[in-house]
Amino acid sequence: MCDLAAIINIIGKETARLILGLIGVLIVVVVNALVLTWVERKVSGHMQKRIGPKEVGPYGLIQPFADGLKLLGKELLTPANVDKPLYYLAPVIVFIPVLVSFIVIPFDGFLQVKDINVGILVILAFSSLSVLSILIAGWGSNNKYSLIGATRSVAQNIAYEIPLLLSLLPVAFMANSLSLRDIVEVQRQGWFVWRWQFFAFLIYFIAATAETNRTPFDLPEAESELVAGFHTEYSGMRFALFFLAEYTNIFIASAIATTFFLGGYLGPVLPGIVWFFIKTYFLVFVIMWFRWTFPRVRFDQLLNFSWKILIPVAFANLILTGGILKL
Amino acid sequence: MVKDVIIGAISLIKGMGVTIKAFFSPVVTVQYPRETINITPRFRGHTKLVADPEDPEKTSCIVCGMCERNCPSNSIKVEGEKKEGEKKKTLKRYILNFTTCSHCGLCVETCPVDALAFSADYNPADFKKETFYYDLMLEFEKRKKR
Amino acid sequence: MVREISDRFKEKFPSIEPKEIPYEQRGYHLFIEAEKNNIVDIAGFFRNEGFYLADLCCVDYVDYLELVYFFNNHNKLCRIKVTVKTDPDKPSAPTISHIYNMAHWYEREIHEFFGVFFEGHPFMVYLFLHDGIDHYPLRKKNVPVPEWDRQILNSFRPEEQEDGFFLNLGPQHPSTHGVLRVVVKMNGEYMLSAEPVLGYLHRMHEKMAENRTYQQFLPNAARMDYLGALNFNLGYVATVEKLCGIEAPERAQYIRTITCELNRISSHLLWFGAFVADLGGLTPFLYTFDDRENILDILEATAGSRLTYSYFRFGGLYNDLDENFVDAVKQFITRLRSRFSMYENLVTGNVIFINRVKNIGVMDKGYPIRYGCSGPVIRSTGIPFDIRRHEPYAVYDRIDFRIPTGTTGDNMDRYLVRIQEMEISLDIIEKALKDLPAGPYKAEKIPKKLKPPKGDIYHTIESPRGELGVYIVSDESDVPYRMRWRVPSYSNLMTFPELARGSLIADAIATLGSYDLVIPEIDR
Repeated sequence: MCDLAAIINIIGKETARLILGLIGVLIVVVVNALVLTWVERKVSGHMQKRIGPKEVGPYGLIQPFADGLKLLGKELLTPANVDKPLYYLAPVIVFIPVLVSFIVIPFDGFLQVKDINVGILVILAFSSLSVLSILIAGWGSNNKYSLIGATRSVAQNIAYEIPLLLSLLPVAFMANSLSLRDIVEVQRQGWFVWRWQFFAFLIYFIAATAETNRTPFDLPEAESELVAGFHTEYSGMRFALFFLAEYTNIFIASAIATTFFLGGYLGPVLPGIVWFFIKTYFLVFVIMWFRWTFPRVRFDQLLNFSWKILIPVAFANLILTGGILKL
Repeated sequence: MVKDVIIGAISLIKGMGVTIKAFFSPVVTVQYPRETINITPRFRGHTKLVADPEDPEKTSCIVCGMCERNCPSNSIKVEGEKKEGEKKKTLKRYILNFTTCSHCGLCVETCPVDALAFSADYNPADFKKETFYYDLMLEFEKRKKR
Repeated sequence: MVREISDRFKEKFPSIEPKEIPYEQRGYHLFIEAEKNNIVDIAGFFRNEGFYLADLCCVDYVDYLELVYFFNNHNKLCRIKVTVKTDPDKPSAPTISHIYNMAHWYEREIHEFFGVFFEGHPFMVYLFLHDGIDHYPLRKKNVPVPEWDRQILNSFRPEEQEDGFFLNLGPQHPSTHGVLRVVVKMNGEYMLSAEPVLGYLHRMHEKMAENRTYQQFLPNAARMDYLGALNFNLGYVATVEKLCGIEAPERAQYIRTITCELNRISSHLLWFGAFVADLGGLTPFLYTFDDRENILDILEATAGSRLTYSYFRFGGLYNDLDENFVDAVKQFITRLRSRFSMYENLVTGNVIFINRVKNIGVMDKGYPIRYGCSGPVIRSTGIPFDIRRHEPYAVYDRIDFRIPTGTTGDNMDRYLVRIQEMEISLDIIEKALKDLPAGPYKAEKIPKKLKPPKGDIYHTIESPRGELGVYIVSDESDVPYRMRWRVPSYSNLMTFPELARGSLIADAIATLGSYDLVIPEIDR
């Protein structure tokens, strides 16, 4: 124990906190992905009047571990004609932005790896990086389906980044801060979703669903059209990394929605972290609910929806909020 | 435009209502190896030999070969022998190649003495092809003993 | 109608005498013996008269090869058989694919199976047998394929073309429902051309039929269309019955109608789920399976199997109805009727779904005549063409039912037509159950070995996908001399290249899903 104290003394408290936080984040990421795969299968199962996994462990709870083990044990296949450096790189860099985003999310009043005063910007900047990895995966796979999926993904992410940003800005205006903890603390007077920002919440949520490539916006991996889209050629652990990143992205998108619109960790009786997870997982459930209800939109409709409806409405909302605040 | 968006949103919410209702309603699937459903009496599994109503020790097969000739896939081989002191041939071996059988029931239908029937064996599985070259005579003997 | 056409034909072609044929025995009204030099004009004549090409096949009579063209009219029943004889040593005929687009694939099929060379045909490559053949498979004698013909057959090589972005949709692809391969030339998300490649599930049922007795072929019919197995079963059984002059008892006919309609509903339900799954909505698939399971249970209790029934026999049925059948069916009718509103909420009214299918894959009224499409695909264009009404079989002539039609012929119309058809099928079942007579379920004195009289017969029924035609040539033995299956998905799929040209890949997949393709049926 005293070794640890010595180490902390040497590297400084702030750095130690960062390292510990990152380890914690890694654990959360993995556990979250495991839980979410189980939840998704159960949710889809019951929505389709099936039961979902049930054989491995009670209620199939161990199933994600079994799947993870299987994926770990699989041979890492590399198709013959891939662009090897890019092909290997993509699953690695799909994960970095995800980890960084976690650093600024306040799980509780004190449970935050680092409170950066430009928290939103960090998240937005890094989340747009994930599209790069998809593009690299699609290009490096040297597969036509992958390439189509990747190009779709780029167009989609560019189109939906804008409403995403525009819907978060009014909240930052109202909170007068870009720090995520400040935004939560301001909501002690009432959640932003009820304080004139309901439309911003809707727009954010739709855009976030699109950003995370979930049905009805799952065009990059549109199963019935593109087989598996950008990760057609990936298998084993490389595929698992994409999978992990997808579920972590869903979690982050929901966590940001919770932080910005649903009062983050605020809530009566229960500890803050519990409230945070309840709210976040409810939103995750809604995203899953979307997936198991809707068909997929078409590519041009997707872009039209963003450019013709979401962005104008988000802009109007932003100007309105800014105007009212200024007055 | 605004109207379209609202109508669209309502239709989406309606759809979500359907799935959430299903989410909270009981499942309809049967957890197969743990639970099974009843096989209907007319189920057409592989064929089996039926005991002679007069003499339950024997099959009523007269080794006429009708089933063998009528089988569309040549899945049946019937071998009989003529025992001493008996007028009719008796069945020695009845080989059903179940790998090529298509459950059409022509053998059951054409049998002049109704010596064949369908079994309710619905889940045969094995790694070897040879397992499915059934000798129905052996199977009949086994059933008789039980 | 028949007389009129006959007169007009004689006016136009004074040298050819159309023979009137007893329709009850042969399944067609007129027989015209054409020659190679006038078949194109005759086809043009029928095209002008509003006839569509129902079928085009070939029969090898050893001394000569006979091409058989069947024409029919969508509005009024008038089946016309036109034959062209050709020399077996160097068989050839002029193409009519510029008149009827449908002939395009049929002529390719005849070319690879019989070696008949169609002069002027633009694209005579392999349709089914891409592995290559050393002799023409459906010829009665062993005729080796000459080298020049093999080169023609092998000339489709998209992988060697460098000037484009080719995408193979299938044979392993989630949305082709089996093993259809479509070679697509793409420009970004747009399809420049689409060329279906068939034959991945080709089993040559037509050749198999020439090697087994009429009874022995019974289980094969169900294997062609596993979703509409009873309908195919009925198509075959009814054709042979007509050929041999066997009359099935009343009760059997009613039961055939009821079970066929149940089968139609189960097929449409599966299509419904699969179509929405093609568009990305996976949940309705499971709901329709839940409903479909009820039908399968009912039919299993009666027929003994769940998918490939072979329930109908010459002169009747395999066995009588299960004692619970009537109650179970009534229960099912109530259940399914209550589910339609749920499907309406989940799918039909869904704005995403509507935007994905409305005005996509539009077929005008010219398509059915050019391509001979049938079933819900033709009804979606607004033509109320349904064999059950057009050329009634079983007891459909005694039951009054509505034929749902669409207006624009887009994917939405094809979808709505099928949904309405399910409701109408429920009505038909209800009416038939009410009138279900008692009595024997099988005709007496059906010979164990059928030896139909010499001659040919063409008989059609309405399968869930459209017009199913069976053409049998009998030579008085217990084995058919030639059996030809005209399958509905085949001619429906033919419209795909034209509809897909210039469309988005997502739309093309929606269109492909809206056909309700069953690949084993196309490949036979």
